Amino acid sequence: MKEISLKFGVMVTAVVLAAVLGGVWLAAVYRENGSRAILLPDQVMTLFPAPKPLAAFAFTDHENRVFDLSRLKGKWSFLFFGYTHCPDICPTTLATLARVRESISKNAAGAQDVQFVFISVDPNRDTAGKLGQYVTYFDATFLGVTGDDAQLGNLAGQLGAAYQVEVKPGTENYPVYHTAAVFLVDPRARYHAVFAPPLDAEGISRRFGVLRELEGPKAT
Amino acid sequence: MRWRHPVFTTLISALIALAAAAEEPGISVRDAWVRETPPGIVMTAGYMVLQNRTSRPQVLVAASSSGFETVTIHRSIAKQGMTGMEHAPQIELLPNASLLFAPGGYHLMLSNPKRALHAGDRVDITLKFRGGLALPVAYEVRK
Repeated sequence: MKEISLKFGVMVTAVVLAAVLGGVWLAAVYRENGSRAILLPDQVMTLFPAPKPLAAFAFTDHENRVFDLSRLKGKWSFLFFGYTHCPDICPTTLATLARVRESISKNAAGAQDVQFVFISVDPNRDTAGKLGQYVTYFDATFLGVTGDDAQLGNLAGQLGAAYQVEVKPGTENYPVYHTAAVFLVDPRARYHAVFAPPLDAEGISRRFGVLRELEGPKAT
Repeated sequence: MRWRHPVFTTLISALIALAAAAEEPGISVRDAWVRETPPGIVMTAGYMVLQNRTSRPQVLVAASSSGFETVTIHRSIAKQGMTGMEHAPQIELLPNASLLFAPGGYHLMLSNPKRALHAGDRVDITLKFRGGLALPVAYEVRK
């Protein structure tokens, strides 16, 4: 009797010990490979091995300044297409991006070299004033930009984004479709990565932090 | 004989009604909220968890509120790699099942609020089901 319970006790101890050691080993392996493993292809971010340099485009920002290719240089830019009459996807995404920015700004490297740009595909309704009120509600540093259909199509095409505005004369309400992904352009104005929905602030800021660290010196 | 006394019969029938009411499964809503509107913005959305505790399917056919110009049941959808919205004229709730109204999916599209909505405010919206059931729901405005 006594011998059996002793054996059982030893067995249980061995199993528990093995589990604990296994856990410690896994944690160590994860820590070692964490930064690289995090950038492996995943559901959150698609990273391009050869970032694509963007060509010239011309928008106007919410303060009526020209927003062109030069404004993408020297900073990491998160770009999102949408429109202010959008009740669901756009405010949800902008709220997520506000959390991404907050998280990045708490990082040692800060958010000085990062900008968030909301590109309205609905210039018909989204005036500079309206865009400004809208984007700065989510974060005071956010930029709202828009342009004519040719310029919107130009940048959207370069990013593989799509949009469709079914303007109906005489009505303020018409359907707008747009890509829901968030595009990341590096400080050399190259299309570098894309974040696919569902967007998660924690997942995006963690991956961005690692990417910026890896790309740091060569990106600028 | 004494049990036939009117006081007793009234009491008993009241108790039975009360028990029935307590057990009446019905449709309930929890976690109901409406997104705060950014300044100058006249569109927002309402979300909730709709629970059908009855043993029959229930069909949500409309929603209305005196606080908005229009309330429409919408669903965000993917179309050729893009996101957009479509009107959902009716939504069937399966028996004893829940249906989630959440960002990126089903939502109540609320246009032209009568007053600006601020986090903490309350918004009343009535959900209408096939068969005439009208369910008033209080939504909390959240940022």
